[in-house]
Amino acid sequence: MSDATASHTSTTHFDDRLDTDTRISNLEVVGILWRALKLVSRARGLFLGKIGLGFIARIPILYLPWLAKIVIDQVLLQEPFDQSEVPFPPHVAPFVAAIAGLSPMGIMAAVTGLLFVLLIFFGSGETWARFSEGEDSATQSENAISEGGSGRSGIIGILETLVHIRMSQRLTNHLRTELFRCMGRLPMTVLDNHRIGDAVYRVMYDAPMLPRMCYRATLEPLFALVGAAISLYMIGYSYGDVAPELVWAAFAVIPAGLCITVPFSGISRRVQQESRAAGSATTNALEESLGNVSAVQSLGGMAREKERIDARSSESFRRYRFVKLVELIVGFTSFGAVVVFGFWAYVFITDQVIDGVLTPGDWGVLFGLGLSLGLTALGVGTFWIELQGNAAAVRRVFFFLDQEIEKPGGGSFRLEAFAGSVRIEGIDFTYPDGRQALKGIDLDLVSGQLVAIVGPTGAGKTSLAYLIPGFIRPDSGRVLVDGRDIEEVDVDSLRDQVSYVFQEHVLMSESIRDNLLMVQPDATEADMLEALTTAGALEFVRALPDGMDTVLGRSGDTLSVGQKQRLCIARGLIRDTPVLILDEPTAALDPQTENALVQALRDASRGRLVIVIAHRLSTIRQADRIVFLEEGEIRDIGSHEALMGDPASRYRRFVELQGGG
Amino acid sequence: MAERSTLSLGELGRLVLRTWPYMRPQLPHLVAWVVARYALELVFLFATLVAFDLLNNKILLGEKLQHDQAVLLQLDDSYVIAPGAQDVAAEEEAAAPDDASLQDVDSAESEAEKGFDPAVTMNAEQRRVVRNRLGVIFAIATVLGFMLLPTIDYYRTWILQRVNQYLRVTMMERAEHLSLRYHSHARTGDAIYRIYQDSAMITSVIERIVLEPVVAMGHVVFSFFVIWLFSPILGGLYLAGMLPILWLVVWFTPRLQMRSRRARTTNSALTSRIQEAFAAIRIIKANRAERVMGARFDNDSRIALDAAFYLRVEFILMRALIMVIAGAMIIGTQYLMAGWTITESPTFLAGAVALVGFSIWNLGAFQAAGSRTEEFAEAGGDLIRMWGVIQDLGVGLDRAFFLLDLKPDIVDADNAVPLPAPIREIRFERVAFGYDPAQPVLKGIDLKAQTGTITAIVGGTGSGKSTLMSLLLRLYDPDAGTIRINGVPLAEIQTESLRAGVAIALQQNTLFATTVADNIAYAKADASRQAIESAATVACADAFIREMAQGYDTELGERGGKLSTGQRQRLSIARAIVRDTPILILDEPTASLDAETEHAVLRNLADWGRERIVFLITHRLSTIRNADQIAFLEDGEIRELGDHASLMSIPEGRYRRYVNAEVEIDVPEVGQ
Repeated sequence: MSDATASHTSTTHFDDRLDTDTRISNLEVVGILWRALKLVSRARGLFLGKIGLGFIARIPILYLPWLAKIVIDQVLLQEPFDQSEVPFPPHVAPFVAAIAGLSPMGIMAAVTGLLFVLLIFFGSGETWARFSEGEDSATQSENAISEGGSGRSGIIGILETLVHIRMSQRLTNHLRTELFRCMGRLPMTVLDNHRIGDAVYRVMYDAPMLPRMCYRATLEPLFALVGAAISLYMIGYSYGDVAPELVWAAFAVIPAGLCITVPFSGISRRVQQESRAAGSATTNALEESLGNVSAVQSLGGMAREKERIDARSSESFRRYRFVKLVELIVGFTSFGAVVVFGFWAYVFITDQVIDGVLTPGDWGVLFGLGLSLGLTALGVGTFWIELQGNAAAVRRVFFFLDQEIEKPGGGSFRLEAFAGSVRIEGIDFTYPDGRQALKGIDLDLVSGQLVAIVGPTGAGKTSLAYLIPGFIRPDSGRVLVDGRDIEEVDVDSLRDQVSYVFQEHVLMSESIRDNLLMVQPDATEADMLEALTTAGALEFVRALPDGMDTVLGRSGDTLSVGQKQRLCIARGLIRDTPVLILDEPTAALDPQTENALVQALRDASRGRLVIVIAHRLSTIRQADRIVFLEEGEIRDIGSHEALMGDPASRYRRFVELQGGG
Repeated sequence: MAERSTLSLGELGRLVLRTWPYMRPQLPHLVAWVVARYALELVFLFATLVAFDLLNNKILLGEKLQHDQAVLLQLDDSYVIAPGAQDVAAEEEAAAPDDASLQDVDSAESEAEKGFDPAVTMNAEQRRVVRNRLGVIFAIATVLGFMLLPTIDYYRTWILQRVNQYLRVTMMERAEHLSLRYHSHARTGDAIYRIYQDSAMITSVIERIVLEPVVAMGHVVFSFFVIWLFSPILGGLYLAGMLPILWLVVWFTPRLQMRSRRARTTNSALTSRIQEAFAAIRIIKANRAERVMGARFDNDSRIALDAAFYLRVEFILMRALIMVIAGAMIIGTQYLMAGWTITESPTFLAGAVALVGFSIWNLGAFQAAGSRTEEFAEAGGDLIRMWGVIQDLGVGLDRAFFLLDLKPDIVDADNAVPLPAPIREIRFERVAFGYDPAQPVLKGIDLKAQTGTITAIVGGTGSGKSTLMSLLLRLYDPDAGTIRINGVPLAEIQTESLRAGVAIALQQNTLFATTVADNIAYAKADASRQAIESAATVACADAFIREMAQGYDTELGERGGKLSTGQRQRLSIARAIVRDTPILILDEPTASLDAETEHAVLRNLADWGRERIVFLITHRLSTIRNADQIAFLEDGEIRELGDHASLMSIPEGRYRRYVNAEVEIDVPEVGQ
């Protein structure tokens, strides 16, 4: 994972490691499409509803051209119905028969009535629920989430649009939830690399492209082809005998459109991908700069940040303009082809009218049908190119869904009652980047003890602690919980029994209460007070204006580091698990608070195993056992007194330095 | 931030005015664009009128040309209808279609088919010639349109991007210059969402409140004018039809605003939720809180999606109802026009234009007027759609301007001077401050620090140590009292120059996603490799950096994820050192270092700091002991001040008690 994301670093100007691969083959698009379509089953009902309504929405095509012809020939020019050599198609014939005997104004009244009925059901114009968006992927994605529309308005158009919006929303939500879940399944070593989290966050913005792609790849062409088929059928039926050339030309329009646009698809998708990559690089720069605003501000890095964002932003705009340019060229060419077709039709049809074969009304019918065919041809031609941009976004989504997920060790044994004894046998562990963190560790830990893991920076303390909840899997050796190899144990059930308090203090921007409930949804008020008391947090929490209901700022910034640390500890305590691991719990505490906390941890270690990773002597000293690590190996194990009594102990030397000597 | 609940026309005007500073730099371009659009519009409008006449009346029905049309198509007089002939012919046709014609008898003979009258009608050959020449004009127009339209469109994109670019940079600058007061309370997700979404919003205002409506208005006015030329009755009908439409718009507007606000708020909350959950993913995973967080995410997501849905329902309903009314107007007018065409009633003024043969209602007039009514309805519908979108924009703008309107808390005085050099001393005089004035964090601090000394600031959690240093950096101004450097009050020193003179290693050690060397040189981009390496050596980071795969060129993950906390801490110390400033602040610099490393770092720092003023904020005794003076802070006041020995000698002293808490159960002080 980290390799895959890091390998592009050197080859790109931008630091977005995910968007730099701008190539996507046609075959890949097909694969992505196929996979995306399988997800449509998540909204099957809505999808079918959209298809049904979409078909109904094509009904006006069957009538409108003929009504226009009747208005021109029979009303305005007052020709009789039987004068023309052009037969009306069967579905229009009953209407024609009914109005055949009427006066021109009578016919006009009937046509007007029918138009009103069509207006109520199908409205006039199309419906698209789209709000303003910028030239960037973030706002475009906001619109895409709730995308929906119809070629009609009126009752049918409204229904079709609403069904469509709900379909887009449901698919996006499903996908985002999946991404969220996938995040939780990533191995801890991958999560330690924060970039991954940020990358997935950005992919959340790509998620709405999936419903859009599904729609564009299936329903949009389907409806376009249905419309085209209706037009072709009517041209063939009514004009096949009189002017067969028209029928041939009409059938040739769509394939011709394809032939012209397909050669452009390569360059078009490349510039689109580049534009997208630049867009996310801008987001990156903004996000990093804002996330670290206090550091930037205190280091005087403003001018530099401004410059960086300025550069990114103008680069992304430049590339966007490039996309527009390519779109223009493609548009030019394909539209040009349609225009050539249009000119031929213009000459041919006017000839027929002048020769008296066709009527001015036929010009109206053919002009309307031909126009819609031409537009369909344009759409079909660009359809594949537009799909590429969406496919690239969807590929990133799938890329994350496919991430190597944590292997639960194949264990199925559910650890229900855990006595809290942990045995570590002959463990070796190497980081993904090749550094060896642990070498031949053997350790026996039992419940009822406060164990301190001590050692210089980089000695492997955290890795050792990670072994117990199964955050990392050793290269060799095994970890036994209550005598059972954790490879056989269901990871979720194991983690239900182990609380881990991390070194950095991340709190949610919610109330303190919700922060505690997050890890233990059924905690009572008394449980929360107890945890806060033990962590030495109750006093300051009570002093806050809203007590436990105080909503914390960004990452708990309204609190001091020490206060955050104590809240994090309370969060670890509230789960009341047989094993509690704290990574540097006291680093930011003053000695008094620290003493109180360590005392509380000692109390808590009655009946459970408490493991503390610590640097501070005052903390370490109170542990029942001290495990001293150096360069990935255990050098000393024992109580403070015992180890200090041993003149050869590495621990003793460590303590002597700590004393300030 | 005051959220408005309604957006009246007046407020809309104000919004437009507020975007003025961002439009002004592009004003010549904007005006040029609008003028070009209008010109094109008018030419197109007139051309279509002529084309409708030529195509329907002349080519399809075979009537002779107007005189000026023949000139335009370069045709001789045989194509032109004789003056007055049309009226006569019309009368005759009505009375006795088979009557002999008045003029040009010879040419009529050969083609005297059904009602053919050479005075007013062209023969097939002539119709084809007209058809071909019109085709040529079509072709020329198409080519011109091909060139002009995309150029104008591209021009607009270019202008708007320039506006957006300028905006984003301004907003970013503003957001960063704001003192931490704002940032500490706002969710990061919210801030990003704002800048990104809302800067796009302001560009949208220019596009959708200014440019598009101006174009659409032109469309409506031109179309209405043409309709009125054909028949004032139609014009009146259309004006009357506007009334129910306007009523609908008025009724829907507040509902749209309400829905839009809700959609935005919920969406912003969702963005924060997602971002935060991702930042805390390890904790969620370790605590098996995936389900709880997943449920919260799902819930927030549903709320946001529902809000977006109902906003769209409202929007679609409004538009559909209005389009039904507009559609009914089109259908109704077609019925009227059909009647006029059958009776060949005269049109109002359309015949006044010499190029167009629309003096009476005929097929071409019917088609031309019909297409104008459709254009009119379409452009009117566009205006209303824009109005709906503007409601959504108005809400977004409140938020966008919130950021742009925020004034930086710290403003340089007019006569501000650069940071004095060389620095001799820093003096805090009765300094008081509170983030919330009701809750003072510092109450009357007096402190003096001289060059070449290390001052340790010690005190319990939350006693105000970090705040004191924030004041020195002028991230905030004190509520009372003064801080002086060489006697010059901080308020009279240029902020940029002050901050350039202070290096700080923060408690939270933020690293950036770039190389180790770049991270160290972050605040001093021109630092030489040698300076970087020697700074790293002082911070005891050189050794571990050299062990990394690419040494100083190793890329770090975002926020330095690949390093241990102790390593990150040393990098941020090196980062402060490389700046080579006269003032250095270390905020809990060694909390995550083991004793051995800490000791080494401090020893190096003492050597390095001979010409500087160093402040240390710390809890650790071993760190404190090395300081030249120790300020013991409690409840926002300095309770004791002096070096370790003198403070320890105060019986029952607070510092002494503090130290004893650390060494209480101590084995005799080892190593001393």
